[in-house]
Amino acid sequence: MLRHLFKLIWNRKRANGLLIVEIFFSFVVLFGVGAVLLRFGQNYRTPLGFDSAQVWRLTIAAPNNQKMPRPDLDAVLRQVKALPGVQAVALTSGNLPFTFSTNNSQFHYGTRFVESANHYDADDSYARVLGLKLREGRWFQPSDDATNRRPVVITQDIREKLFGSGPALGKVFHYGDSDQTMGTIAPTDDYEVMGVVDNVRMDNDFTAAMPSVWKRLIPYDTTHWESANVLMHVAPGEGGALQERVARTVAGTVRQWTTEVRPMNDDRANKRRYTLTPVLALVVVGAFLILNVALGLFGVLWYNISQRRAEIGLRRAMGATGAAITRQFLGEIAVVTTLGVGLGVLLAVQFPLLGAFDMPGSLYAAAIGVAVALVYGITGVCAWQPSRLAAGIQPAVALREE
Amino acid sequence: MPAPVLRLTDIEKVYQTSTIETTALHRVNLTINRGEFVSVMGPSGCGKSTLLSLMGLLDEPTSGTIEVDGRAVQSYSDKELAGLRNQKIGFVFQSYHLINDLAVVDNVELPLLYRPGLNGRERRQRALVALDKVGLSARTGHFPSQLSGGQRQRVAIARALAGGPEIILADEPTGNLDSVMGEEIMNLLLALNQQDGVTIVMVTHDEQQAQKTQRVVRFFDGSQVG
Repeated sequence: MLRHLFKLIWNRKRANGLLIVEIFFSFVVLFGVGAVLLRFGQNYRTPLGFDSAQVWRLTIAAPNNQKMPRPDLDAVLRQVKALPGVQAVALTSGNLPFTFSTNNSQFHYGTRFVESANHYDADDSYARVLGLKLREGRWFQPSDDATNRRPVVITQDIREKLFGSGPALGKVFHYGDSDQTMGTIAPTDDYEVMGVVDNVRMDNDFTAAMPSVWKRLIPYDTTHWESANVLMHVAPGEGGALQERVARTVAGTVRQWTTEVRPMNDDRANKRRYTLTPVLALVVVGAFLILNVALGLFGVLWYNISQRRAEIGLRRAMGATGAAITRQFLGEIAVVTTLGVGLGVLLAVQFPLLGAFDMPGSLYAAAIGVAVALVYGITGVCAWQPSRLAAGIQPAVALREE
Repeated sequence: MPAPVLRLTDIEKVYQTSTIETTALHRVNLTINRGEFVSVMGPSGCGKSTLLSLMGLLDEPTSGTIEVDGRAVQSYSDKELAGLRNQKIGFVFQSYHLINDLAVVDNVELPLLYRPGLNGRERRQRALVALDKVGLSARTGHFPSQLSGGQRQRVAIARALAGGPEIILADEPTGNLDSVMGEEIMNLLLALNQQDGVTIVMVTHDEQQAQKTQRVVRFFDGSQVG
């Protein structure tokens, strides 16, 4: 019977070709949307590598691009830290978790290099405030003032890329892709590894971990403070009242400075919405497309059956049961679906083979599986009712209509 | 005395819509014996095709009983009826009812697809034998659209024969053919009846052809009149 179905479909290839193309495109859309959603889901389930729950962001800016004197900034930090409810504070630059500000560069160690890594400025309290998880070595400490090199802490992924399975602590690496292209390197651009922390996902809830480097903020540095970001770890239950006290404390120190105090989880939720919006749009468009395909398929099958009433009557006369007629039509659509899905799978497997979008093969395999299941499900549902209808056609009537 | 292969007793067939009730057959009693060639004649709309549908188990009578080989079939399930149609009955239609997207040999194989226990090779073999019997061995790979009307009807007969049926029900098999081709098909049916002993019930409007059969049954307004 399967051979008979293939023969029928092959001999009706012009009519079935369009159906196959339609199914192919449905598969491609479902595969694409499925891969994005699965990737997002997988990332969402991966630990962030830090704790954002009790962390607030305090952004301080001087008016008219004026520089902020470091002693004033240090005074603000001290006074904010002294507020009841504030457990720890850390000074950092504008590259903050869950904000729209990023700072990335290439880094290299000998012939090994990292194509793109986030880099952050951080003081000695930063790891404690964010709850970064140390794997090797230590975080920055006051004794690092004595070194000429720039102390850095790196994530596990950058450690693996630059140093492989060898030791990382105490190693010195640089910007760029090689020493040759970088020319003369200042001692402050010699990055000495002090510690290694777990991978972090600081962009948003749905993106993968990015290789990251934290450079120690030098306490006496006064060069670049037009605005500053302070991360505060606050006690559980703190809210608007503390936010107000923090803002008043800053204003009490330097009246002209403007402040914004915001829980990091608000930034996180904001970034989540921002990231999800286009994905939801994609899902809606995909769903709409699939609905159209389903309706089209339903219509085509319905029309197909109405055109083949005489054939159905004939098959019944030749000994086909109603169930056999249902099976035949479901079988035909299964064969057509298999051809469309086969083409789609052929295209889809190119992604893991070519290493596209830096996604693991298992995720592509899952996306293919999901798309295959959905396409078969949709075509099955669309074919079921017309096929049942075909089975109910009275053979005597159908044969007389011709 | 040959045994009856088909027996219709007190058959009534009424088509009912919300507004109208049409009696297609009224108290029909008819016995077809094994090896007979029976013609069914009558004006258009007298119930000939309905009778053939009932004999072919494609439709159910409103009342009365149909017996195949002495067994009443009204309690048969869809599966059992389909099995009977497949094993015992071959159909030949006025408009051939060939599937245009299948080659001649695949059309002939069609009833064998629904017969359990036959593999592809056996099906092909039987189809080729049937095509040889109707003189179309050279046309197995052709499609119906590449054949003349007479050749198409011969394919339809081969299809009916392929399953080795005891009965062939032919609904105006020469109705769409010119006289020469009609004669050719008639001779083929006569040969099948006389040489192979196939029981044939043929609906026809052609008095001359009817006279070549062993018995003529006449209908008028749904009733058997002769």
